[in-house]
Amino acid sequence: MPIASNDELGYKPLDGGWGWVVVFGAHIAIGFAYAMPKALSIFYNDIQEDLECSSSEIALMSSIMLAVMYAGGPLSSWLVLRFGSRPVVILGGLMCGVSMVTASFGSSIIYLYICVGIIGGCGLAFNLNASLNIISKYFLVRRPLANGLAMAGSPVFLCILAPVNQYLLDSYGWRGSLLVLGAIMLNCCVAGALMRPVAQPPSSPPEQKVEEQPNNTNSNLKESCLKNISFFDVSFFKDRGFIIYLFGSIMFIFGAYAPFLFLSAYAISQGIDEHSAAYLLSFMGFVDMVVRPGTGLTANSKWIRPRIQYFFSFAVTYNGLCHLLCPLIHSYSFLLFYTFCFAMSFGMVFALIFECLMDLMGPQRFPSAVGMVTIIECFPMLLGPPIAGLLVDITGDYKYLFILCGSVIFTGGVFLFVMNIYNDHMLKKEKNAKDREQNQKNMEDQDHKDIKRTPKAMMEQTEFEVTEDNGAQGDLEIAETPN
Amino acid sequence: MLASWKQLIFQILLLLISCRHINTTSPDPTPPPLVPIDSLPRDVRRAAFKGEGQIEKVELLNPVNLELVCTWTGHQNKESNITGFWRKDGLEIENSHLTVQLENEQYQLQQVFNIVSEENLGNYSCVFESEVKIDFVVAVPQIGEIRDKPVVTYVGDSGVITCKMEDSKPMPNTWKWYKANGTDKEEIFAAAEPQRYEIKNNERKTKLLVNNLTMADSGLYYCGAVYTLSTSMGHVELKVITYYEPLKPFMAIVAEVFILVTAILLFERSRSKKNDTEGDMMSDQTNTLSPGENNGLEGSSSMRQRKT
Repeated sequence: MPIASNDELGYKPLDGGWGWVVVFGAHIAIGFAYAMPKALSIFYNDIQEDLECSSSEIALMSSIMLAVMYAGGPLSSWLVLRFGSRPVVILGGLMCGVSMVTASFGSSIIYLYICVGIIGGCGLAFNLNASLNIISKYFLVRRPLANGLAMAGSPVFLCILAPVNQYLLDSYGWRGSLLVLGAIMLNCCVAGALMRPVAQPPSSPPEQKVEEQPNNTNSNLKESCLKNISFFDVSFFKDRGFIIYLFGSIMFIFGAYAPFLFLSAYAISQGIDEHSAAYLLSFMGFVDMVVRPGTGLTANSKWIRPRIQYFFSFAVTYNGLCHLLCPLIHSYSFLLFYTFCFAMSFGMVFALIFECLMDLMGPQRFPSAVGMVTIIECFPMLLGPPIAGLLVDITGDYKYLFILCGSVIFTGGVFLFVMNIYNDHMLKKEKNAKDREQNQKNMEDQDHKDIKRTPKAMMEQTEFEVTEDNGAQGDLEIAETPN
Repeated sequence: MLASWKQLIFQILLLLISCRHINTTSPDPTPPPLVPIDSLPRDVRRAAFKGEGQIEKVELLNPVNLELVCTWTGHQNKESNITGFWRKDGLEIENSHLTVQLENEQYQLQQVFNIVSEENLGNYSCVFESEVKIDFVVAVPQIGEIRDKPVVTYVGDSGVITCKMEDSKPMPNTWKWYKANGTDKEEIFAAAEPQRYEIKNNERKTKLLVNNLTMADSGLYYCGAVYTLSTSMGHVELKVITYYEPLKPFMAIVAEVFILVTAILLFERSRSKKNDTEGDMMSDQTNTLSPGENNGLEGSSSMRQRKT
């Protein structure tokens, strides 16, 4: 796959240097995206009293924000393809800031749904999507590590925002807090400013001059190319690896959040006091913070990188297993151990979830793929916690929640593992068949590549020659069909 | 006719007797009457001595005859007789000294108190031999779930303060609100100033709405759960601030963001100008106007390369 992606990008990605600054920017943007909807729950009680609404009405605000964040994926992908990551993240930061500031003047819950939920969620969608895209542009060899570091933003910012929000609430009330939070979220614009667009490929100086003035013929060419990469590309569904990944991640997302939300309530029901139960969540955050970059580093190693899809399926299975074993736990120390395992597996999955998609689709198809994946993942994310909550209400026992979530996730993990084996097997067969036909074409391509390749890149890329994947196949197919 | 006269006289007599009882209040700390009034219900509370500093909570709503029973297993060498007496709020109750006999390997001290008014509430202690003590805190249900952090509101806005009596505790008869004025409490009458104050009473919850807030409205507000015996108080602090307070950090952070973004973009522009002057083809110069064209062109150029 990496061999073909080098061609796809038309340049060799930086894999370092300014790339790490971009990772830092992505860390901030992704951190705000995932942490803000959760951190807003600190204001719930006060908003509830002031606006006289029920707790489910106020909780809907965060759900809308998360849903729009994921549903805005395709729109964000389209914008990134047209304008690049930097303007999109800056726009996202501005939208988030504006949403919070306008929300601080709110006098009804519907107003908050629109400001925080829709506008804020849209801003976060731009942040998330564009950050992931720019990582795929800047990194290839060290991409899993870059992804792990960027995704670590979520627990880091949750740990920072929770006490900050509490302090703001005590000093300024919920209205003042939202105002100040709006300003804090403008820092996403700083993150966006750091996301310098990638350098031009060396073989296109004439194009460089041309693009400075809008040129009709160039824009026509661009548009026809862009039409091939529309933001709702249905051809992805013919990609076997993509479908497998999609099913696995849907099953994971369905069960992922409910245990997280009900953990402290479960602990309290087992007789543990409120402070210790709250401590469980902060403990989770700390473990998650360390595990995500750690997983990125591990996934980058030469043993795991070629088998990253299996590593991902292992992480998902491990998560499911944790939940299945939770109902057997009744003491605090075992609960702490469960939280540790939960946090570890949760962090592992999230560090790998977008890296695996990048690995499958390649940097060219990733922008549209991620948009599509997030909008589809919207549904299990919205359905999971309420169904789990309903189960708790009906049975009156938390253990069924853990059993349900655990079994769904475990099944997803096993499905991913088995289907990946099958997929690899099918790809090998297809590749052998194609190799015989395309021997001549491959040799021509090799000549082109040898001119561009540096010795270092050759050494690193030979490690990956063992693996096949759809990205390579897909790109070769695009090359064949005349435009 | 004669029967009804007799009834009337009997009722008047009864009234006089009960009036006499009520008039026994005096300014000194009154020892509660040791003679039970028959019309009141009886409530029995028992406690066995477990250790030092033992406190038993007794929640009462209505006037009762409260019987408190203390038991103690005694020391190693159990004497057959020991002395015991009662205290109220730390002061010894007169005529309460008793000699307690050892029965069934334990000593038992019991006393009936008439709890009819607020003065009768307090801390009752049974004491064995001036060393073993059990405290009974006799009070109306206290408001447990009350906000300990101040409610922050803005000038011109309206503020809401809520008080709630937990479901596990009995419902109060009504609720009252007071505003702290120095060391005193002034009752808030919503009817007197309907534009400013609004009190919404639910059985277990009460809300005080203060409209058109001014800085003078800051301070402690007390909510009182009114029971027959007494009113249990809880307090919440209301803080009124101006819009300028959160605006200061807001402007500071916006300024910081603006400075950082400008600095980053200027740095990039100066770096790319340096690269241009060096004549470097791999220029980072990107028009922030059209970075998208870069991406599109990368794709198209690589595709074009492959086609040839």
